[in-house]
Amino acid sequence: MNFIWDGVRQAVDLLAHGDHDILVVVGTTLRLAVLSTLLALALGLPLGLALGLGRFRGRRAGLAFANAGMGLPPVVVGLVVALLLFRGAPLGRLNLLYTFNGILLAQTLLALPLVAALTAAAVQSLPGGLLEQARAFGASRAQVSVLALREARVGVLAATIAALGSAFAEVGAIVLVGGNLEGSTQTLASAVLVRVSAGEYGRAIALGIILLGLILVLAGGLTLAQQHERRALLGRPS
Amino acid sequence: MTAPEAVVRARDAGVARAGVEVVRGVDLDLRRGEVVVLIGPNGAGKSTLLQALAGLLALTRGAIERHGRVAAVLQAPALARRPARANVEAALAWWGVPRAQRRERALAALGAIGARGLADRPAGALSGGEARRVHLARGLALEADGLLLDEPFAGLDAPTRAELLYDAASALRDERRATLVVVHDRAEAWALADRVLVMLEGRVAADGPPAAVFAHPPSPEVAAFVGFTGRLEEPGAVRLLRPQDVALDDDGPLRARVVRLVPVEDGVRVELRLEHGRLVATAPAPGPSPGAEVRVRLTGGVSFPR
Repeated sequence: MNFIWDGVRQAVDLLAHGDHDILVVVGTTLRLAVLSTLLALALGLPLGLALGLGRFRGRRAGLAFANAGMGLPPVVVGLVVALLLFRGAPLGRLNLLYTFNGILLAQTLLALPLVAALTAAAVQSLPGGLLEQARAFGASRAQVSVLALREARVGVLAATIAALGSAFAEVGAIVLVGGNLEGSTQTLASAVLVRVSAGEYGRAIALGIILLGLILVLAGGLTLAQQHERRALLGRPS
Repeated sequence: MTAPEAVVRARDAGVARAGVEVVRGVDLDLRRGEVVVLIGPNGAGKSTLLQALAGLLALTRGAIERHGRVAAVLQAPALARRPARANVEAALAWWGVPRAQRRERALAALGAIGARGLADRPAGALSGGEARRVHLARGLALEADGLLLDEPFAGLDAPTRAELLYDAASALRDERRATLVVVHDRAEAWALADRVLVMLEGRVAADGPPAAVFAHPPSPEVAAFVGFTGRLEEPGAVRLLRPQDVALDDDGPLRARVVRLVPVEDGVRVELRLEHGRLVATAPAPGPSPGAEVRVRLTGGVSFPR
């Protein structure tokens, strides 16, 4: 059991002394999580609205596809993206393989179905008649969309938490597409993998503790905001 | 004097739902200054017609012209989860009212329907009756040329409904606006209507002032719907009667047998069988015994040729 305590002590040491390598990995992880979540929200919210509220041929198939996408094996997504990014492959000219933008692309693809499917479910569960009434009062499509997202904001926050969580936890796709390069494409989760492979259990545990701390702080903060919204929506004191 | 301008005009309008035509060949005009009540049984096509008049549903045939802006207050109160005043202001924003005017108009509309005190209350904390008031205020605030309300009193307990009905009866009167209200209940129609439309099986089966439609229905079907529950076969005609057209009278010319008694608020409802039909009367409690023979006098009713 000693190596566990060693790992905890090492984590405290690394954090207390502001270890440069650790700070770089934390920075990469945060940058990837925030940017991929923002991109997934930018694409996934309109997609979720369309899948949840639209009336077009193929909507149900799209919804089924988004729901299935939530369970996509990240390694497979990573493999497909990596294959597409190889030199000579269709996206090879973008030179994204083993770059931060490459792992950003892979992680956005993983987070997109989460945001789209959870947003679609959230707007579909809005009270009957709410959006129809807005249309009957002359609301434009954009105004109806804003109303739907605003009213479904507890669900939209859940989608955001899921997208962030998936970015923090992702290893397979990032290693395949980014190559797990220290200083550029290595994240906390993929760094843990390297340290364990190298037998550096103490450092791996330290990285794991930092990763867990980040997840707890970000997801916890968003959850508090979500529950505050929920209470406010129900008209109860928070 | 010329008739006021028609804000909404339907000609031979037909609307289908799930491939079934539920509104069939409706002609109607809604004019400024009048409150028209649309009444009919469940499934008659009232809500569908209202949504078509508002432009929310496409026609399968005919045409609907709108001269001015028409707003529909749909049946479900469906308030957004924010305070009552913010809900009214949101409706004004969708309607295109400049931000600077919204607060004042929202408060005025809430005041008009007796809901000024609810302005800052979150929608989630409103009772059913309060939510209906705020919902109605959203429609009033728009100051539309045509306002179409779908069962604004649905789902309320009797005292709350009566209170809202009387407030709405005055709030809905506006010379600049054409108003259509879908209701279920004749009492609501009496309180609100300048003109009543009775809708049966997708068609407008009666159109006129409430006194005329309810006292002299134009067809047996309309009569049956507006409360002419008694039916007597007469030579060459059928006579339909309301309970108030039938009196239990020991010197009455007709003989009837009591079939059933049902207690009601002001006595008993007496169901009678006669040689050529059946009647319903009301009598002070306890009323005659079931199976007893009584004498009946008829004081009204409408006759239709057979």
